[in-house]
Amino acid sequence: MMAKIRRRCKRRGFEGRRLFRGVVAAHNLNYDLTPMAKLRIQFENGDPEKVIEFDPAKAPFHHDGEPGSILDVMLGHGIHLEHACGGNCACTTCHVIVKQGFDKLGESSEQEEDLLDRAPGLTPTSRLGCQAIIKDPDAEIVVVIPRYTINQVSEAGEE
Amino acid sequence: MTADAPSKRSTLNARIEKIFDHTSDTRSLFLSLTSGKHLRFAPGQFISITIPLGDETRSRPYSIASDPEDRGPFEICFNRVDGGRGVQWLFDRGVGDTLDFSGPFGSFTIERAPDAELGFIAESTAIAPIRPMLKRALASSPASKIHLIYAASDRDHILYADELDALVRTAPNFSYEPVIVPADQIYDRLFEMAQSRWITADADRTRHFYICGVGKGVIRLRDLLRGAGYERRAVHYEQW
Repeated sequence: MMAKIRRRCKRRGFEGRRLFRGVVAAHNLNYDLTPMAKLRIQFENGDPEKVIEFDPAKAPFHHDGEPGSILDVMLGHGIHLEHACGGNCACTTCHVIVKQGFDKLGESSEQEEDLLDRAPGLTPTSRLGCQAIIKDPDAEIVVVIPRYTINQVSEAGEE
Repeated sequence: MTADAPSKRSTLNARIEKIFDHTSDTRSLFLSLTSGKHLRFAPGQFISITIPLGDETRSRPYSIASDPEDRGPFEICFNRVDGGRGVQWLFDRGVGDTLDFSGPFGSFTIERAPDAELGFIAESTAIAPIRPMLKRALASSPASKIHLIYAASDRDHILYADELDALVRTAPNFSYEPVIVPADQIYDRLFEMAQSRWITADADRTRHFYICGVGKGVIRLRDLLRGAGYERRAVHYEQW
């Protein structure tokens, strides 16, 4: 248990023995040390990286996408991800590329795979943000929001 | 919490030019861009309308029911749903009101029909994307057999019925079966009809299918056809 707490402190950047001892003390006093998953979001267009720490058990965080999905987590923490179909697995505007933690996500459905087939810039670790669910409280997921996902709206429309 | 706007999100603005009520709970809005330009889209695509709800906004998708070739207003079609605050907001709009949207979106489309027999399956307002897809299919593949099975809970909810009847008369390769069935039995009936027409009737597995509807019944139909030997990429569907 102590080793696990030490790993969590380290992962969250809690440096120093004093803080570590404090967390251990809290644990010994039966304080609730809520497991926190981490979602790191990188933007291909150069926008600054954003990091969300959250408790997957508290899903849903918003009202669109599968509860606990990357889309749900992002929207619930104030970070926009396009989801033109309302997060209903009917388009590919929430396409993300998973750089780390792919195996920590819930499995994709045939419907998601059918849509991904038509997603521009498909990669072996592509997922739809509205369908990729993070359940593991120890998950550390890194995703990239492709440039074309952000631009997609402005490329079509009027003539 | 309100989400940040993405850096390059583009919103279009449209004015309601006309309202048509198909039934007391099913409505079409005819929209034109306030910019005066024409909306470019593929048959089957949808737009994502920005709907204010309290102190936040949500984007909700609505399929375009008109043809891309029509130079006039484009049409969206929708029905009232229990507890659907977004659609209620749309029902409360009047002629001359404007709304923001993004799009068009969606890969459930036909740009040019495949050189094969085509089967279309729709229910209620899910005919909206199928309508322009059918017309594009008929225009781009005038020799292929095209069959539509269209189910609704009563005859009034078979939308565009006169137009579909007219298409049967003018397009010799097109046939259509309207199906009236209680709402909770729609997919059971569609399942039986698809099975008898396209699976047990012959061994041809070269057809292409386009299915649109609400709920898991769409997935059952997909699995039925793929499970019977139709190619995965030949069974297209959109589930709402």
